[in-house]
Amino acid sequence: MTYQIRKLPSLRGTLTGVGLALTVCAPAWAYQEAPALADMVAAGSLPPVEERLPSNPLVMDVIEQTGEYGGTLRRAILGGGDQHNMVRTIGSENLVRWDPNWTEVRPNIAESWEVSEDASAFTFKLREGTKWSDGAPFTADDIMFWYEDIFSNPTLTPNKDATFVGANGPVEITKIDDYTVKFDFGSPNGLFIQKMAYGFGYHAAAYPKHYLSQFMEKYNPDIQALIDAEPTAADATQLFNLKAGPMDTPLFWQNPDRPTLHAWHLTNAYGSTDRVVAERNPYYFKVDADGNQLPYMDRITYDQVEDVETILLKTFNGEIDYMLRHIGRPSNKAALTDNMERGQYGFFDVGDLPANIVILMLNLNNQDPVKREVVNNKDFRVGLSHAMNRQEIIDLLYFGAGSPAQTAPREGSELYKEEYAKQFTEYDVDLANEYLDKVMPEKDENGMRIGPDGEPFQLIFLVADVFGLQYPDAMELIAGYAKDVGVDIQVRATDRSRLIELHTSNQQDAYLWNCSGGQADAYTTPICYVPQISNSVSWAREWAAWGVDPSTGEEPPQEVKDIFDAYDQVTTAASPEELKARMEEVLELSMEQFFTIGLVQNDPVFGVARNNVRNVPNPLPIAGQLWFPAPYTAQLYFEGGDNLP
Amino acid sequence: MLGFVLRRLIYMVPTIFLVSIVTFIIIQLPPGDYLDALAAEMGEGGSDNTAIMDSLREQYGLGQPIWVQYYKWITGIVFRGDFGVSFEKNLLVNDLIWDRLGWTFGISIMTLIFIWATALPIGIYSAVKKYSVGDYVATFFGFLGLAIPNFLLALVMMYVAFKYFGQSVGGLVSPEYLDAPWTWDKYVDLFKHIWMPIVVVGTSAAAALIRIMRANLLDELYRPYVVTARAKGMTEFQLLLKYPVRVALNPFISTIGWILPTLVSGEIIVAVVMNLPTTGPMLLRALLVQDMYLAGSLILIVSILTVIGTLISDLLLALIDPRIRYQ
Repeated sequence: MTYQIRKLPSLRGTLTGVGLALTVCAPAWAYQEAPALADMVAAGSLPPVEERLPSNPLVMDVIEQTGEYGGTLRRAILGGGDQHNMVRTIGSENLVRWDPNWTEVRPNIAESWEVSEDASAFTFKLREGTKWSDGAPFTADDIMFWYEDIFSNPTLTPNKDATFVGANGPVEITKIDDYTVKFDFGSPNGLFIQKMAYGFGYHAAAYPKHYLSQFMEKYNPDIQALIDAEPTAADATQLFNLKAGPMDTPLFWQNPDRPTLHAWHLTNAYGSTDRVVAERNPYYFKVDADGNQLPYMDRITYDQVEDVETILLKTFNGEIDYMLRHIGRPSNKAALTDNMERGQYGFFDVGDLPANIVILMLNLNNQDPVKREVVNNKDFRVGLSHAMNRQEIIDLLYFGAGSPAQTAPREGSELYKEEYAKQFTEYDVDLANEYLDKVMPEKDENGMRIGPDGEPFQLIFLVADVFGLQYPDAMELIAGYAKDVGVDIQVRATDRSRLIELHTSNQQDAYLWNCSGGQADAYTTPICYVPQISNSVSWAREWAAWGVDPSTGEEPPQEVKDIFDAYDQVTTAASPEELKARMEEVLELSMEQFFTIGLVQNDPVFGVARNNVRNVPNPLPIAGQLWFPAPYTAQLYFEGGDNLP
Repeated sequence: MLGFVLRRLIYMVPTIFLVSIVTFIIIQLPPGDYLDALAAEMGEGGSDNTAIMDSLREQYGLGQPIWVQYYKWITGIVFRGDFGVSFEKNLLVNDLIWDRLGWTFGISIMTLIFIWATALPIGIYSAVKKYSVGDYVATFFGFLGLAIPNFLLALVMMYVAFKYFGQSVGGLVSPEYLDAPWTWDKYVDLFKHIWMPIVVVGTSAAAALIRIMRANLLDELYRPYVVTARAKGMTEFQLLLKYPVRVALNPFISTIGWILPTLVSGEIIVAVVMNLPTTGPMLLRALLVQDMYLAGSLILIVSILTVIGTLISDLLLALIDPRIRYQ
């Protein structure tokens, strides 16, 4: 059987029209629903489809063709900490969404939006008659409940998510009417609509008031009874966190009673059994172009496994219908290709394209004054960069799938510039020595360089084995290249939580990591271009702290302050053209500084889908906060209405 | 005898108490706590989650000193049988472990039976027919069983089952039976899967016991009491089972104390590779993310098993070997 999916236009990264108000007209014909639901309607246990859908349901653009109802999408999930497996397939319904190519923001839960002249206020119009998965209406009150009782409550939200904080502080939300809300920042916030379409924008529409208010003292005077009945909670705050945990923590997926706006809702809790099951949400607010209520598939199941290799074997056996997580790695490609016929699956491309996947992050705010002086000298970083044999790393560790590059926007992104990606990437030991001699000309009897204080110079690199990116192997090669030019790099293997603990307390010399910002996410998460505080990327933590609040951290040099100022201009830009121009300024300044040393930009990875799974976005873009394919999984369907045998 | 048992039971109390303290301290030794592990995993979402972390830290009581946390945990177990809460799963440890302990015991006991059923006859055979072809064959496979790491054997067997028998791998039942009720077909399917872990876990232990049995029995076979018995005209088979084998059984019995906990916790890697619903993968995961009440409770239970196992082997030894009884 041949495997064909229509190729979608490749990623282009065109910016969304900020200020664009889209309204999709409701089709005039009658709506259809899944056969199983029709039976329930006939039996009287479910209202008819017209009453379940909003008066103006979202009509999804056809990805490949109109689908068929039926079947169970089978996946596998790891026994713990793998909640993003569900987030990325059935989570992530925001007020607005990115289109399947990640080029433009489209309406989602909100049917339209308006942006004020200066891009400081955003008015969202909700769909009348939208319902939670338990049938209760979703209105502006649910958004206000989140805003007033959760977001503005310092006990439940001690720190606000950056999506909802502008230059003047946290957003102010007002209810205009039952279906209209206004988000006001008081100053321009040109990135807000984009940010609302990313992962963390979901907060505004994820808190059903009718269900969650029972876990608040304010709404439920008898809350003590609920606390007593819940053995894992001791007070009202704990109870609320337990029932209303955020989607990217396991908590969200451990409360199957919580109503959602997602296409499928859980019927059991993640972690409690060997299989997590999500059933079709009969109130889902989307239809296809023919008026068929989505989703097409009846159920999604996640078989809990403990070892990634088991997932691979299950795939060979045809027990996985659609998956890229855990298996889409170059090292698995050969084995997956060998078993294609047996497992009856094919590949699709995944545009998981970060700014760089192997980055030497030297701590520019090192607490050791000598090391700080050396690594802050750009000549040292340039020299080290020229000493790296990038192509060898790519050939040995990534099966040739990648290209030598710095930490920079990628080819295909509208921010791409060749000189950013290619500067100092040439492997040239003599050139490297030339630069390094400007910083540390003295060498000891073993040919290793002596620091400016007259002592042997040494950098301690932390490395954790994460994401299947073979960092420990890469680090050994890197330390070897550095030794060739007289730089002493000592490698310390550690686990990820220890690594995070060390760099958040600014106790590291350097570590190996990856960084987003290769595509459209360069605007919203420029963590490798501008010093910012993040729990995974740290190369100038003290400057980043100063950037947030100048009474903390450490005052950076003028060049870095200029970058902060330039990025402020980005966040307050009011038009897409201005946004792009401002971001180019940030990149120009940042690339001149050459903060981090990138080694490899990877080729697109891949996922597998069984041969009769249709409407598979190809290539599928994903990135840190772009929680794809969740907004589009509802359109996946089985040709023939069921799984292949 | 009764006094002996009673005394042993009393000794168990301080032992287990000390074990519980050491367990708790060891789990806390690595830097950070569950929330650091959680933060590391949430890093994928791409945002800084200090907000939710602060409130969760409060919820889990992780800010409290270690002895307060220990006191809460141990008094819960002693007075209410409450093993605390699993941070990661937000469920009571009690709700999580008993089901898995059941599977663990089931597989352990079947493995024990498998080990004895293979090691005993083969060990006796290779001692009695020393240097015969059969002995060499048994020895060869015995050394193989000892030399191959269990997880590797598990991988190879899974691959063979997948490649040549088209069997669904991982777990104890096929996916289609995963949430089905217990029917005859499901039991059949279970037995199609369960022999694999039993053989994998049992092979190396059986191989070791074959060697021990062979060596011990060889020591006994030429003792004067055997010669005497034979001179009195006992049949060779009766004689073998009644005297030398009984004495040679000693190591089988004295190792029960170790076999119980090894079967429960020692085969973690096999359980992870084969995706068994036993306590092993759960313990490994709990240790990795510092889910301390869950990890602590599992280790505590395994420790109690060791103590009980040792008691059982002592009692059995006294029963089977008169020399020990009169000490």
